[in-house]
Amino acid sequence: MNHHIHWQARAIPFQTGESVASALQRAGIHQLGRAPTGQALAVFCGIGQCQGCLIMADGQVTEACLQICRDGLTLQPLDGDADV
Amino acid sequence: MSDHPILIVGAGLAGLAAAVELARQGLPVLVIDQAQAIGGAVHRQPLPGVRSTATGAQAHRWSRLIAEVQAQAIPIRCGTRFGGVDHTGAALLTGALSTLIRPRAIVLATGARESVQPRPGWTLPGVMTAGAIQSRIKTLAEPPQGRVLLAGSGPLLLAVGAELCRLRHPPIAIIEAARPLFNPASLTLPLPYLTEAATYLAHLLRARVPLFFGAHLTEIIQTNGPLVAQIDTRKGPRNFAVDVIGLHDGIRPNDAGLTNCDVIPTLRLGDCREALGARAALADGFAGGQKLAAELLGTTPPSPNHDLQRQRAAQARLARIYAHDGLARLAEIPAETVICRCENRTLADLRALGPAPTARALRLDGRFAMGACQGRFCAEWVGRLSDLKAPPKPIGAARWPSRPISVADLLTTSDPIEKETK
Ligand code: FES
Repeated sequence: MNHHIHWQARAIPFQTGESVASALQRAGIHQLGRAPTGQALAVFCGIGQCQGCLIMADGQVTEACLQICRDGLTLQPLDGDADV
Repeated sequence: MSDHPILIVGAGLAGLAAAVELARQGLPVLVIDQAQAIGGAVHRQPLPGVRSTATGAQAHRWSRLIAEVQAQAIPIRCGTRFGGVDHTGAALLTGALSTLIRPRAIVLATGARESVQPRPGWTLPGVMTAGAIQSRIKTLAEPPQGRVLLAGSGPLLLAVGAELCRLRHPPIAIIEAARPLFNPASLTLPLPYLTEAATYLAHLLRARVPLFFGAHLTEIIQTNGPLVAQIDTRKGPRNFAVDVIGLHDGIRPNDAGLTNCDVIPTLRLGDCREALGARAALADGFAGGQKLAAELLGTTPPSPNHDLQRQRAAQARLARIYAHDGLARLAEIPAETVICRCENRTLADLRALGPAPTARALRLDGRFAMGACQGRFCAEWVGRLSDLKAPPKPIGAARWPSRPISVADLLTTSDPIEKETK
């Protein structure tokens, strides 16, 4: 585990091939942002169906549960407060 | 036209089995899947170097299918999402393979989704589907961090609980609304169902996991610390402070936003048409592939598949064994409970639309099923809340795209169709 993704300012290690959602969960990050509706964004279905885990990955909106980690990938919440 | 491939959406049991049958008849196919690897939900593969959590029977079933997939050299593109098919038969693919194609036929094998009944607090971070926990276990052989509670109803709760035990991280408790073990009809299930259940129970009992049957998770609250689950047991209320809650209330076809196309054959196979589980999905995939091949080649259609009938009967029996009164609780949830997760719409918002709202009112005024998940997780409950006795109807007709598509994705989509017509 000497590769990292970057969740806001924090470097988070990952296992080759795992999803952003699973690396963030291991690091204790559950709340990924807050939608304009007030709803917290977080992993729910885990397989790309619910769209509850949307984040920005290298500037593109994507599902954290489908996005695979790669070294240096930068991640931001779409909106609102998120776990750090 | 006949050299255009048959597009198969979903690289799980049903999709791959159909692909094998079609390819055997000499028909070109293209299999896509939005995940980064084949397997679907049931046969989600472990990452390289991670030990598989599949049982012997599961591993055997999968390796036999994969041997056929390899023998037929079936082209598969992972990381590719199906946007939908329009009235002209043009299908939009985005992601790793980003293109518009005009397939000769489409097989939709998008599997199942989990059904999760709304409860106060079910939108809190850390609350997820039991299947989300299971797919993490399958890929990483790693449990979630912290204390885990599983609640809802269905055999999956026991399966995930047992997998957590095998990882030496047993759940704090399992809250099951039904009382399957107390139902004598349980013994009439096919033998493979019984041995599977017995294995799960053995793991759970050995790890001394408290199993509450006939119990309901009624509310989840969080005030600056753990998630606190309020449970109604048969012996009175209990609560559990935990870090992760896996909810599950059964499986349904994952068919939101999937439309048929009038100009090319469109077939739904496996759980995507009828949520009957893995055994049925495999049989349905092979049978559906044969049927489609016969249709396209003008040969005699195959005889109906008895395997599928057997699985349908077994699943109906399982549903009766797992019958419970949880649905009655749906009408009693507090008015401020969120029903639609995407648009944050509550039971009060639904009630404000008046009695028996039309699909149009539900969508345009209520915003139900208008969010990014397309009603996958709310439509069932919106339907149930308007009529608790009738099976829920979809809110309006399905419309593509079946998933949100970013403008960036559209811009990178190549359009060979346009070039063809120019
Ligand atoms: S958790 Fe549902 S789409 Fe990612």
